Amino acid sequence: MQPCVAFGSLCNSMSSNGYVIDVHDVHKTYKKRIKALQGVDLQVGSGEIFGLLGPNGAGKSTLVKILMTVVRPDKIGGTFLGASVGQKEPLSKVGYLPEHHHFPGYLTGLQVIEFSGAMCGMPKRERRANAGKLLDRVGMTRWGSSRLNSYSKGMLQRVGLAQALVNDPKVVLLDEPTDGVDPVGRREIRDLLLELRDEGHSIFLNSHLLSELEMVCDRVAIMVQGRVSMQGTIDELTKDSKRYEIQVLGPCPAWIESHPDASVETVEAEARISIATDDPEAIQPIIDRLRNEGRSITRVHAVRDSLEELFMRAVVDESGNVAAPGAQIESRRGSGGDAP
Amino acid sequence: MTQTLALFMDAYRLLNARKIFWITLVLSLLVVSSFALVGIDDEGISIAWWDLGIPEINTGAGGYTKAWFYKTMFTSLGINIWLTWVATILGLVTTASIFPEFVTAGSIDIILSKPIGRFRLFLTKYTTGLLFVILQVSVFTGASFLVIGLRGGVWEPGLFIAIPLVVLFFSYLFSVCAVLGIITRSTIASLLLTILFWFMLFIVQSAEQSLMVFDMLVQQRVTAYEDAVERTRQRLETVEDPDDMERWGFLHETLEKREVSLAAAQGSSDNLETWHNGLLGVMTVLPKTGETIQLIERWTIDLAELPEMSGETSRPMISEDDQFTPDEEKLGKDIQDAIRNRSPWWILGTSLLFEIFILCIGAWRFQRRDF
Repeated sequence: MQPCVAFGSLCNSMSSNGYVIDVHDVHKTYKKRIKALQGVDLQVGSGEIFGLLGPNGAGKSTLVKILMTVVRPDKIGGTFLGASVGQKEPLSKVGYLPEHHHFPGYLTGLQVIEFSGAMCGMPKRERRANAGKLLDRVGMTRWGSSRLNSYSKGMLQRVGLAQALVNDPKVVLLDEPTDGVDPVGRREIRDLLLELRDEGHSIFLNSHLLSELEMVCDRVAIMVQGRVSMQGTIDELTKDSKRYEIQVLGPCPAWIESHPDASVETVEAEARISIATDDPEAIQPIIDRLRNEGRSITRVHAVRDSLEELFMRAVVDESGNVAAPGAQIESRRGSGGDAP
Repeated sequence: MTQTLALFMDAYRLLNARKIFWITLVLSLLVVSSFALVGIDDEGISIAWWDLGIPEINTGAGGYTKAWFYKTMFTSLGINIWLTWVATILGLVTTASIFPEFVTAGSIDIILSKPIGRFRLFLTKYTTGLLFVILQVSVFTGASFLVIGLRGGVWEPGLFIAIPLVVLFFSYLFSVCAVLGIITRSTIASLLLTILFWFMLFIVQSAEQSLMVFDMLVQQRVTAYEDAVERTRQRLETVEDPDDMERWGFLHETLEKREVSLAAAQGSSDNLETWHNGLLGVMTVLPKTGETIQLIERWTIDLAELPEMSGETSRPMISEDDQFTPDEEKLGKDIQDAIRNRSPWWILGTSLLFEIFILCIGAWRFQRRDF
């Protein structure tokens, strides 16, 4: 996997070698006004779990649909599994579970998985064998012969996941895979995703559940209003936010405010001193001085932004306004706006 | 091939899950069973064990044959009423939802993400939609074949021509329904608009046939007036001193009146012919549902099987008091000939061209659309 931190289009110059998805300058406008995608650049490495985040209407699903040939882009460069995006052949090695999937209620779980395999061109014996194994893998063996109209949402999600895996795909695109699944099921799905990655599958996740993405994703991209605003490993993206926090009893010492990397916050009877550095050596003199002054240090720990904080940073502009949900709408008079 | 088979299997599962499919199939078998209950022999018609003794139907020597009787029941009741009206409406109700459900968000995403081209997907899905009518008409025709064989004593494989023709007839309507389903994404809208389209076809075809009948009737009127004018002229030529107006004025008056009536009839005939040709032109670009079904009768019932007609046709007449009497037997025969002589290539070819045109629109829309 090749790490890449992209603010804007830093990854443009990277070779597509090693990437299963490598798309550049993706544009899509609906009804000539709604700008869903405005020049997206995105790379997904082989054998990684990649998370795509963004507020509602940011263009995440449109991007996935373009990759799956469900939506036609206005403009796109790059490749998907080594072929131009829009070609059908690579899709035989791709698994997909859309967000609001709808499987016919007259089919059984087993039939849904087999149908998906057949549509990928798999021979009958192979897809039948895979369907049985996958039902077992998603914990649905007992329900495999029941019709889908008797399934709960979580069960549908599990079968949906199984049908996306029937063709042993190189890349699996999952749009909100844990939607409607109970906490135990979510954990099982997370474990399954990690297993799949270990088996060499690349996984592209679209989700709003930032804490879940944080637990499984190797790399993430954050989309806001049709553009990728950040892309990279969580570690890389949060590198600048790394800091040490020292909590001491009593008021904050006056001398700390003159420290260039320090910020102070008072919480009840404690002062919380935050030093913006990822170097533990840099905080030793501060700790020594506090000890010399006889202050009681209650806690010293290294912190960094969570994915949620990172996300919030991405969706807030320079003037502190949170980006409105939805794609940008070009008004008929030419000025911009946001889709509801 | 795997993908095509999977789509057909899915279509079968869809039908299997719909009660209306099985209800229609059972009703079809009941209709055929009712044929089997009707018996015909030299003594007349019977239903089960009851002899109806209908004297109007001559079933004895030189009369209607058993084969003709059962084949007529098959085409008139089985095909013309049951399959082309009742079963077709049930078929449209069952299949109208196929495309709107197919393009539902969440459903279409999965199918389009598979390695199958949109054009092929659309056409295969369309073909699977015809599975309803293929199964229904096959069962109906197969059962009718057995009934006609066992009860009528005639094993007529020609009956199976009904399968492709009824499927073709249904496909004209289903192509419209499928394209409307893609465009509107609504089952109700596509079903209602298709039925409206079918009704429009029915009106156009009925109007064309009515105009054809009127035209033939007016042609007979023209012939009758031509005869009457000729007769009157001949009479005037044979009388002594035809210019004696006092004596023969009424003949001159009759001649003049008949010449005026002849000109009016010729004018009407020209007008009707123009309108009829115009309507025929409109019909040419539309699917010919009624005529496609009529082909079954044309190809299964040989006119030679009918009992000999009296053969006594008389020329249409204008009586002395200027009353027009048409030759109804000739009119009936002319209508039958006109319908039977229409080229099957024209009927099926132009209808298929319409269907292909509609499917191209649907495929183009399906190809270009974002889901």
